[in-house]
Amino acid sequence: MATVLESITPAPAVPPRHRVTATTTGVVGALLAVMAGSLFDVRPPDAYGLCMACHARDFVDWTINAVAGTQLTVAPASLVLPVLTPIGVLIGALLAARINGEFHVQVPEHPIKTFVYGVVVMNCALLAGGCSIRLLLRTAAVEPLGMIGFGALATGVILATHWLRWRAAR
Amino acid sequence: MTAALATLVAGIVLGYLGQRSRMCFVGGIRDFILVRDRDLLRGLVAFGITAWLAFPLVAALGAAAVGPFAKPDLTTMALTVCGAFGVGYVSTLANGCPFRQHVLAAQGAVSSVTYVTGFLVGAVIFHVWAAPLLLRVLP
Repeated sequence: MATVLESITPAPAVPPRHRVTATTTGVVGALLAVMAGSLFDVRPPDAYGLCMACHARDFVDWTINAVAGTQLTVAPASLVLPVLTPIGVLIGALLAARINGEFHVQVPEHPIKTFVYGVVVMNCALLAGGCSIRLLLRTAAVEPLGMIGFGALATGVILATHWLRWRAAR
Repeated sequence: MTAALATLVAGIVLGYLGQRSRMCFVGGIRDFILVRDRDLLRGLVAFGITAWLAFPLVAALGAAAVGPFAKPDLTTMALTVCGAFGVGYVSTLANGCPFRQHVLAAQGAVSSVTYVTGFLVGAVIFHVWAAPLLLRVLP
């Protein structure tokens, strides 16, 4: 619970020229996701322009297929070369952290637990057909399954938050 | 090649903005429940509305349109609900959505580095063990 509370404390003051609101990130992210899918061949499947889980899966599976000659699943959009969203996000965030002096190595308290969280979230996301971003993107594309998925995701977040609050109050 | 380059550039831009804004796609709902903070929730809503407007707009401009979507069967629906619920629940326990975890990993949080490592290993686990097992069990 401590980590959750720490994460929602106000961000340290940053110069106005470096400040970006979540709304701006949301608008730019949505435009990039739609343009990637519709204009830059990041499809099929539909509404595939941005997904941390599916794109990471494509990158890992494509690389293993190329190295070991296996036939792990990749989306049609990643048959020739894999989509590189996760690599891009890591590079972009690293650049932002370095430029703004916010790169700090922090040693984890429970590395095995966070590793397991990663494994579970990836498996759940592949089962659902996308991470939180792609489920929202599919909802915006008015796909019924995407809407059902996003509703289930929101329910999961709400229940987990209440559980964290209940555990902290005990 | 086009898809790889486009997603790399989009990823870099989003990674930069995500680091500066602390954007998280589950954190918005969580923060609103815990402390009535609407900042990240506005980002989530902005993403949804912008994409909802942009899909038909780019289609009207001549780009490929999304859909029509097939009517989902009951098994697919059940798997989607279970998977999406798990993503929401576990991402909240893990302190952020996969996007936020990638951003935190890039700014030096070793716990998020282990999360991202597990995330990548999870893809292999899913296709080598979980998916074949599900295909054997499900009708």
